Formats: sequence, C-alpha cells, structure tokens
Amino acid sequence: MSESAEKPLLEVRGLAVSFYTPDGVVSAVQGVSFAIGRGRTLALVGESGSGKTVTAYSILRLIQPPGRITGGRILLRSARAGDIELADLGEEDELLYRVRGGLVSMIFQEPMTALSPVHTVGSQIAEAILLHQKRTVKEARELTIEMLGKVGMPLPSVCYHQYPHELSGGMRQRVVIAMALVCKPELLIADEPTTALDVTIQAQILGLIKTLQRELGCAVLLITHDFGVVAQMADDVAVMHRGTVVESGDVRSVLKAPQHAYTRSLLDALPSRRRPA
Amino acid sequence: MTDRTEGLDDRPLLSVRGLTKHFPVMSRGFRRSVLATVKAVDAVSFDLAAGETLGLVGESGSGKTTTARCILRAIDPTAGSVMFKLPDGRTVDLVKLTAGELKPIRQHAQMVFQDPVSSLNPRMTIGDIVREPLVIHQLARGEELAGRVAEVLARVGLQPEHSRRYPHAFSGGQRQRIGIARALIMKPSLIVCDEATSALDVSVQAQVLDLLKELQREFRLTYLFVAHNLDVVRNFCDRVAVMRKGRIVELAPTAGIFSDPQHAYTKILLSAVPSPDPDVRMNFNVGDELAKLDAADQS
Repeated sequence: MSESAEKPLLEVRGLAVSFYTPDGVVSAVQGVSFAIGRGRTLALVGESGSGKTVTAYSILRLIQPPGRITGGRILLRSARAGDIELADLGEEDELLYRVRGGLVSMIFQEPMTALSPVHTVGSQIAEAILLHQKRTVKEARELTIEMLGKVGMPLPSVCYHQYPHELSGGMRQRVVIAMALVCKPELLIADEPTTALDVTIQAQILGLIKTLQRELGCAVLLITHDFGVVAQMADDVAVMHRGTVVESGDVRSVLKAPQHAYTRSLLDALPSRRRPA
Repeated sequence: MTDRTEGLDDRPLLSVRGLTKHFPVMSRGFRRSVLATVKAVDAVSFDLAAGETLGLVGESGSGKTTTARCILRAIDPTAGSVMFKLPDGRTVDLVKLTAGELKPIRQHAQMVFQDPVSSLNPRMTIGDIVREPLVIHQLARGEELAGRVAEVLARVGLQPEHSRRYPHAFSGGQRQRIGIARALIMKPSLIVCDEATSALDVSVQAQVLDLLKELQREFRLTYLFVAHNLDVVRNFCDRVAVMRKGRIVELAPTAGIFSDPQHAYTKILLSAVPSPDPDVRMNFNVGDELAKLDAADQS
C-alpha cells in the first residue's frame, strides 16, 4: 500500500463512450479524465445528459450494447489486488467480478433498482458477502446484522428478515449502503444517492456515507447535480457538460472562483444565488 | 382580466379555515372495519391575498399535497372551509359546493403538476391538451379557440407548430410549459403549483420559475406553491407555511422564515439543506434532533 500511497486510487484518462444506434452514433462521453485519491471524495457534477452516469458506469464496465467504451484507460490501483486496467478487461474476466461489489461498489438513486423485491434484505446483503469473501453462511449472517446496525437500522436482526417494500425510501437507501460497504470496497460510486429523498433524510444519508467512508477509508465518487451536496461532501469536483469535463479542481476554488463560463452559469442558476424576482 | 382588480376589496382571494382530511385505515378481509385514521391534514388555516405567492413546504407525508388537493376539491376534505373569492366579487365555500356547482368555478382555480410526463396525455397533441379545458367549459370555439391556443402557447415560449406535436417530442422544461399553458388558458385567478419545478434541472428550473413570475405580474396571478425545495421557495414566495404531520407549524414572510425561524422543526429543516458554500457546514445530525422533537410531541 505504501508504494502506491501517493498515486491516485483511480485514474481515468481520455475516456470515450459511444452508443451505436440505428439512427447513428451518439458520442456520450469524449475524452474525460480525472483522478481520485485514496479516501478522498470526488464529485462529478452536471445536468441530465452531461455524461456523468455513463462515466460512472464505465468504471464498473456496466455500459451495455449498443453502448461501448471506444477509448481511454481506467486504472484502478487496488491495495488488495494490484493495478487493474478496467477498460481492457473482458466481459467474462474473473477479475471484473472481483471488482464489482468487491473492490468497487455502487449505490443508485432509486434503491429499488438495486434491491430484489422477492428476497429479504438480509439475504441480499449476505449474498454479497458469500460472493466476495470466504465466509460461512452463519458468519455472513452475523456480519450482515452488524452492518445493518452500522447503517442505523433500528432492530437489525428484525430488519434482516424484512422485504424491501416494508421499508421507507430512506431505510431502503440505508440497506443499499450496507450492501455496498459490507465487502469494504476501496471505491464507492454513489450515483445521485439522495436525489429522491427529503432534505432531513438526505442529511442523515450523507452523514452516514461520510462516517462510514472515514471508518473504512474508502474513496467516494459522488455523482450529483446538486451543488449543495458537492460543497458539503466532496474534496474535489469535476464539472461535466456535453460529455466532457469542462472544469475540475478542489471544491473550494471551483465553487468560489469558477473559471469556466458553464460552471458559472450553473452556479448562477442556483435558486439561492439568484436575486429575488 | 382587468375587472379583477376593481373595487376596494381587501378580502383575501382564498381563505382556508380548519381544513382537515382524515383517511381511514381499514382492516384486511371481508368485513372491513376502521382500525385507525390518518390525519393527513389536521386543522390547516391560512389566507392567500390576490397576487401573492404562498409557499407550502414540508417533507413527504407532511400533508402539503393533500392540502392543495382538498382546496381544489380534487379530493373531498373531512372538515373545514375554503372561502374563494370569484372574479365577480362573490365568495363561495368550495367545500360546501356540489360537483355541479363547482364546475363553472373550476376555471378560476387551476393546477400545475410535478410530473410533466404523467400529467400530459401521450395520445393527445399539444394543441388538443391546451385546448381541452376551454372546450370542456364551452368558453370558446372555432376561430377564437384556435386564436387563444396560439396566444397562450406563444406566451409560455412555445412555437405555433408545436401544437401539432405529441408530448414525447418535448423536453421536461417544455412539457412543464405546456402544463402551464393549459392552466393559463382558463385565465384563472389562482394557480396551485404542486412541485411544478421539482423534476427539472437547475438551469431549466430557473427558466420556468422566471416564466411563472412574469405571468404572475402580467395576469395578477395568485400562486399556492407546494414544494420541498427550500431554496426555490426562498426565491419565489412572498410567505411560507411550513407543514409537519398535517399541521402548519409556522407561517411567516419568506425573509423571516429563513433568517429567524421560530419553530424548532423549521430550524432543523433549514439546517439540513446542503449549502453550496463549502464554508457553511450543513447539519448531518438532524436524525437525532427530529427524534427529540418527536419525543417532545409525545409527552
């Protein structure tokens, strides 16, 4: 770990993704580059269609046909598994399965997309443990209950046997976070994790992500369109517009002194920055 | 529309008193008995002056949408009164009217919905969607009808040729403009915006809010603005009512709510908003504070 300590955990260089539709080729991401240091939080911010989710999906190789990564490299410097060139891995590569949910995990905006409606909450988290760690079923169960407690579920052992539909939106997101972090990933990708939630629930979920990040020492790639969330959560920020990163830097300098016209226009559109009409 | 401003009449446009909506919780099985009632809206009262914008904020489940729906009689309230001043100066209690009596009054109070996808019929052209309310109320026909549709589409920033297209051909912001056009064509005095800009990107949201502001000035519209985004409310509303568990816990001018919140819940709500200024730290600890508030409610 020490030799790679100075080098960033994840380095994305010149990433390009295109979708080959019957009506022509749509270039969703062109030449995106950024890096995330160990234990740091990078926010990828932009409006719908700017390519931030496509960028995140590329890291986990979740781009489905007709989409394809057409260029660039995605280098994960894992402390546990060494350097991995994610863009070069084959679809069926054993290493890819180790990366997904093990070294890198993801939480989504809508928790129900990540949860199976016909399995109990506990069995879904335990499944992740059994897949990625050499544990017995009993150990997996104990770990799951411990993790559910960590993410703030009241009565974790009861929750283990509940189905997702029995939980509120905020509680489901806690379960998804538990599932994502139970294998102690080195990188957590959070795609609009609180967009569908009320502000008070959002505050609790963001606080939870921060606390667990500190505890596990994992890096976070936070995808959001909310500059408030960026300012409160991120160390660094990359602003995306039409498939490219137009500006990046540490949060304070980008938000306080934006250099690019697009960043300025986004910040000026914030309700809190606009003059009362 | 000028007649609305005539007369020295300072009665509020809308006066809500003790508005209450209870939903029964039924038992399962054949013999359905009432187990409990959910007090979705619990004795809500407020006034809305003509030309004013009142923000109704709260979290999901706080009863803000149910309040808005009860006012427009989209659902029937359990109790309370909603006094609505008509353009001719009469005041009616919307709660007491029968469906037949209500119909001619509906043109004066319109609604703009959150989801621009589900609130527009995908099989109707934009022209048909915007025209429909005038046809239902038999307020215009022929040349006049076509003229009013063209006029209102232009006013919300859409092109005349858009009227032949279907909703799927439009972006979220444009669809919301269509929803606004449909409400505006009735020349209403009150528009209830239920999370009208919540589904939009910030820059598009800003444009739609600007449009609503311009229309308000031009047509002296009164808005009841239901929202959960406190930043939007801060910029858009004259006064704000904060709802929690079916009740209004605080109602004050916008500047006052944000600079000097009185109720403990309002304070917690405001502290939870992530500030875009990295030097203003948000409160991550709202869970415990809300739990304390709930405990205080119990005792």
